[in-house]
Amino acid sequence: MAGDLERALSKLRTDNQVLGYSLMTKVGRPFISFSFPGDIFPRVKDSIKLYKSDLRLMTIDTEKGLVVLSPVDANWILTVLYIHELQLGVAIAKTKNVLRLLEGIELPPPPEDFEDSAEANLQVLQSIAIKAASTAPGASEAVMTSPQAKSLPSVAPAPKAAIEKQSPSPDDFYVLPTTIPKKGETHSNALSLDSVLCSEMKKVYRNFGFDVLMLVDGSRTVTQIAESMFQPNERVASFLKWAASKGIVALPEAKERTPEEKASPSMGRFVKCPLFEGDLSKVKSEDVPILKLCDGSRTPEKIAEETGSPQVRVIQVLALYRRLGLKMIGKAV
Amino acid sequence: MPKIENPLLLSLYSKVVDQVLSETNNIDEANRRLRDIGREVGSQIYLTTDIVDRTKDTITTREDVSKLVEIIFRVLYDKKPTLVDMETARGSVRVTDESCIWCQDVHLEGMAGFGYCEVFSGILESLLAFKGVEAKVFQEMCRATGADSCEWNIRLQ
Repeated sequence: MAGDLERALSKLRTDNQVLGYSLMTKVGRPFISFSFPGDIFPRVKDSIKLYKSDLRLMTIDTEKGLVVLSPVDANWILTVLYIHELQLGVAIAKTKNVLRLLEGIELPPPPEDFEDSAEANLQVLQSIAIKAASTAPGASEAVMTSPQAKSLPSVAPAPKAAIEKQSPSPDDFYVLPTTIPKKGETHSNALSLDSVLCSEMKKVYRNFGFDVLMLVDGSRTVTQIAESMFQPNERVASFLKWAASKGIVALPEAKERTPEEKASPSMGRFVKCPLFEGDLSKVKSEDVPILKLCDGSRTPEKIAEETGSPQVRVIQVLALYRRLGLKMIGKAV
Repeated sequence: MPKIENPLLLSLYSKVVDQVLSETNNIDEANRRLRDIGREVGSQIYLTTDIVDRTKDTITTREDVSKLVEIIFRVLYDKKPTLVDMETARGSVRVTDESCIWCQDVHLEGMAGFGYCEVFSGILESLLAFKGVEAKVFQEMCRATGADSCEWNIRLQ
């Protein structure tokens, strides 16, 4: 839970247009904050008090910047401070993006007593979540798996080993506009701010990498990702190839290719092979030997060779039976 | 016998595609080469047709782009595209043609991702550029590789 929350909030932390943020309780007490100016809290609290349970999405124009308030659930409100220059619509869209990430995270209610904006609050929240899970019936399995995300630094070495294990280069992967990238083994690690992989990604792709990864959900195509970011397909594809080489994303098409295809980037020689699926009993007896070999796997040259007929004769027969459904199938061999 | 429209164009284009496929190493590269050819053809088309007279001087909205695409279809193919979609994606215009002229009676196997009609992407991109519209065009679906229609995505920059 803490790892997921951290990851969602890291989206804000790495955004150059975000000056600060705070995850607040429903009564306006700052629980987790990052660079959020303390003097704005009273104003935010007043606004929250004013709307109480009716609060949906609110913007406050302050001298420090534009504040967007949005409830995460019944207990929590996300407050983000953006730079003055940012358009209101963009600020709202950015906040909504983070809210979407928070949607899948079950945040426990805040503890009764806590220190405002204390760094340790994230851990407090996590321990509440674990305690709640352990008391829930049948939850022991979930608890067994959750410690993996307990402390981000402790998991750092494992993904490093995963990186070393994977040696493919970006060119080993093949991305089409219709390719649907899926989350890879190291996806969450790449989004953890303190991981080596994250630093590497940030160095090469800056925030672009984060943005693409946020949109990789196993259902969006490369085109859809590129479109929602107003970016060219090529840029997204190039990043995805890099990410695939690090195990951050999985590219299904690349996996489906045979080892021979993977080993060689060449698609082979392009040939056209005739395919006749009509009734052979209705064709002239002298044409049968040629049409029998029109199974979509032989070229006209090959058919000529196998039947001992001149190539011209083969072409003549093929042309004759086009009207009876003979097709030319193009393929790379 | 399948009814082929403009067999001369088709035969010439088939030769071009064969040539490109024989000279390229992968589908991406082949698609790119066909788009490049289309861009070069585009300037010739712009010079020799009345597209310039039939379109607005300044193309500013996606509706204008859509209108321009319809005029290009009228001039080049004497028909309307099956669909010009401006709604699905905010930064794109999608053009669908269920009876694409370029890939008539072409059947490709095991070549997923190959845009047989990518030449038209280049032509569109070039014609749009002449009208001051910066866009990247690529073919998203092709009948030759099994789709029901050919579809191009005009990504406005």
